[in-house]
Amino acid sequence: MTTQTQTWRSGIPAGRIGKRLVQVAVTLFGLLLLTFFIGRVMPVDPVLAIVGPDADHSTYQQVYHQLGFDKPLWTQFGIYLSGLAHGDFGNALLTGKPVTQDILRVFPATMELATLAIILGAGVGIPLGVLAAAKRNSVADYVVRIISLAGYSTPIFWVGMMGLLVFYAWLGWVGGAGRLDFSLDGQVTRHSGFMLIDALIAGNWEVFRNALNHLILPASLLGFHSLAYISRMTRSFMLAQLSQEFIITARVKGLSEWDVLWNHAFRNILVQLLTVVALAYGSLLEGAVLIETVFSWPGFGSYLTSSLMLGDMNAVMGCVLVVGMIFVVLNLLSDLLYQVFDPRTKV
Amino acid sequence: MNTGTPLGAWFLALLLTVSGGAVQAKTPPDQLLIGMNMNNLLTLDPAAMTGNDIVGIVVNLYDPLIELDPRALTNVRPALATSWEVNDARDLITFHLRDGVKFHSGNPVTADDVVWSMRRILHLNLAQASVWKSYGFTKKNVDEMVRTPSPGIVEIQLPKPNDPKLVIYSLAALGSVVALDSKTVKAHEVNGDWGNRWLTTNEAGSGPFRLDSWQAKDVLNMSRNPQYWRGEPRLTRVVFRHFQESQTLRLMIEKGDLDIANNMAVSDVTALSHDPAMTVDTVKKGTIYYVAMSMKEPHFANPKVREAVRYLIDYQGIGKALMTGYGIVHQRPIQVGMPATLPDPGYRLDIPRAKALLAEAGYPDGFDTTLRVLADQPFLNIAIAVQSTLMQAGIRAKIVTGTGNQIYGAMRERKFDMLVGRGGSGVEPHPHSSLRALVYNPDNNDAARLTNFQGWRTGFYDKQLNTDIDQALLERDPEKQKQDYFAIQERYDALIPALVPLSQMVDSIVVRKDVKNYLPHPSATTFLRDVYKDESQATTPSAGGKGL
Repeated sequence: MTTQTQTWRSGIPAGRIGKRLVQVAVTLFGLLLLTFFIGRVMPVDPVLAIVGPDADHSTYQQVYHQLGFDKPLWTQFGIYLSGLAHGDFGNALLTGKPVTQDILRVFPATMELATLAIILGAGVGIPLGVLAAAKRNSVADYVVRIISLAGYSTPIFWVGMMGLLVFYAWLGWVGGAGRLDFSLDGQVTRHSGFMLIDALIAGNWEVFRNALNHLILPASLLGFHSLAYISRMTRSFMLAQLSQEFIITARVKGLSEWDVLWNHAFRNILVQLLTVVALAYGSLLEGAVLIETVFSWPGFGSYLTSSLMLGDMNAVMGCVLVVGMIFVVLNLLSDLLYQVFDPRTKV
Repeated sequence: MNTGTPLGAWFLALLLTVSGGAVQAKTPPDQLLIGMNMNNLLTLDPAAMTGNDIVGIVVNLYDPLIELDPRALTNVRPALATSWEVNDARDLITFHLRDGVKFHSGNPVTADDVVWSMRRILHLNLAQASVWKSYGFTKKNVDEMVRTPSPGIVEIQLPKPNDPKLVIYSLAALGSVVALDSKTVKAHEVNGDWGNRWLTTNEAGSGPFRLDSWQAKDVLNMSRNPQYWRGEPRLTRVVFRHFQESQTLRLMIEKGDLDIANNMAVSDVTALSHDPAMTVDTVKKGTIYYVAMSMKEPHFANPKVREAVRYLIDYQGIGKALMTGYGIVHQRPIQVGMPATLPDPGYRLDIPRAKALLAEAGYPDGFDTTLRVLADQPFLNIAIAVQSTLMQAGIRAKIVTGTGNQIYGAMRERKFDMLVGRGGSGVEPHPHSSLRALVYNPDNNDAARLTNFQGWRTGFYDKQLNTDIDQALLERDPEKQKQDYFAIQERYDALIPALVPLSQMVDSIVVRKDVKNYLPHPSATTFLRDVYKDESQATTPSAGGKGL
């Protein structure tokens, strides 16, 4: 009875979950503390951004005071935390709106981009990695490795620009910068912030098709980038598995190569792959900055970069908290899944 | 098609499925799509806006009292005010307002609204207050100085002697003195903020366009005001789109997905200038590119060193190689094209002369210093060019790059050695506009904190020059005033200033040929109310980009 109440159905001790949650809270607090103080010592002056370079001293001083910069740093941090405790991230200088509202607006744009990118990256990268491992040192292996190398080493900014030049400007196959053609802007009501979903809700196929048309190129280029990482990791995990004795035994038993690869070797690397894909997804959510810049994609990365350049610390702190949460949650999830799928880690 | 890999085949198939091989449609004939970098758009509040980009938007949402003709800048045209007069004592300007004008809310535009809007600028004391404060308006006196003696009349009493012409130019050119719907704004006031927070992302104007939506760093939509007193604008909608990358902007306008491209890199503008579907409008702005030295730094306090630096700048080379599309060679603080502007003194790079001056100053082997500059073009290229010519005379300048805040922030703190920058207002077509910003320094003490005067920032001070500037402003005889400004420029030059003007800013805007009546305004107050598209002039968008 006691054992049952102390564990989840999966068998993870409830105490461990609680401990992890405390770790998460401490990690996020540390992250905020560090970001706040780094932000305050950064040589960027948000006051000057607000008042402009030609403002006189009294205007400067007034805004400096209004923003509370004349208070001691710890007091400023305390005020920020107290607001945070009430769910108030403060207002962003960049938009004049609450940071929460801004993040809710820009995050779906990035999430839509990153989700399609990771589906493409993992969907193609994993089979390629398996193929490369299965055909080690064959032409197929070399081709996959070259693709992986290219995806890794080609600057994403350059790839983005070339992609636009070829597929948008020359061939006219995809839409240009932005999430939609200008003329379709505002045609569907924003519910989720995901253009594809909102278009489906509105039943507007023209917007759906146009949104997909704009999404496909940046998502594919980002996907190509994560494909490089995922296929390389898959290949190396698979190679490690394929050299194990149980694989040799399986082959000796006369199992088909398909069975050996997918039902024996691949099943064993699933959990590791999950971590790889989760972290790749986290990186995409956090840092599709360059692709967002090239494609004028109004997303999270572009919002975070602008806020940093402006010294807009409310916005930066909000973004840092979100990024921190993403990584913490992804780490936590992959950790928990490890424990679910691999009983040895429960000990 | 053999793509070589399953990935290539998949990608191609997906593209074809999604696109259906479709080519982008060109922009709708009744809508204007403007691409620009919207990084500097932080607020739509006319009293708080900074920079030129936002002025171009605000003037289409609001109505000013008067406006400047983009074709002849000194020609002041009526707007909300049908007429105006200046009293004999030159300290009172009276405006007579137009009847029957309505705000977008349906409220009538009254003299009370205009007066409230102007008082608001001083009470808020944000970015747009500086010029008015330099004219003597303060929080305390503005309620008394700006008033409405009877309905339809607005009086502006000048708190201290000034040239009323300059004040009129400021009213017309700045874009901040516009009529705000005071009833609507007051309804959104929070904690005595004069509606500032609400106006950051909303508008309460009577202009030819209404604001539909604005997402920072993404898109700003406006639609026409069908009740506009000048008549309904021909465009139904104007869309401003944010583009961080100039090359993306170029591809979009080439393909016909944009009508106008603003803030584009010069290399892209040059490439597009050969496209028969487009025109490139070049507008002279009043601001000046300069090399500044801090006279609080002992080397530059020595006039011989400043003079040496004057001969260590390759004005013509920089103008020819680096400033095409950014600026034209200009070596005076007053902008080019004014009747009061003297011809350039003709300074050139002269290394031997500079070396001799440095030796006379006691620095035969030069010295080490720093050169601050924005990490943007053309500033960075100018700094590199200046660094290399300074080096030839032994001045070893280490380049320090940064954002606007980092570079101009240091200058405002008087904590810099040398700096490549741009400034000088010049928004009003009056010599004082430039002199006020670049030369004037009524109190050189650190405690004075006259951070809005670049004269103070560099520590350049000459009592006589200040007096001359004050007197020239008050001179009633236009010919005598012109002569006074000539004398000021001569004296400034002879004193070897700490700020060396080298180029006057020009702005290049790419416009598709079917867009008509688009006149980029030198004061950034570009009016969109008369713009339309002539379909017969439209050319088929390029079948493809011409390469980057």
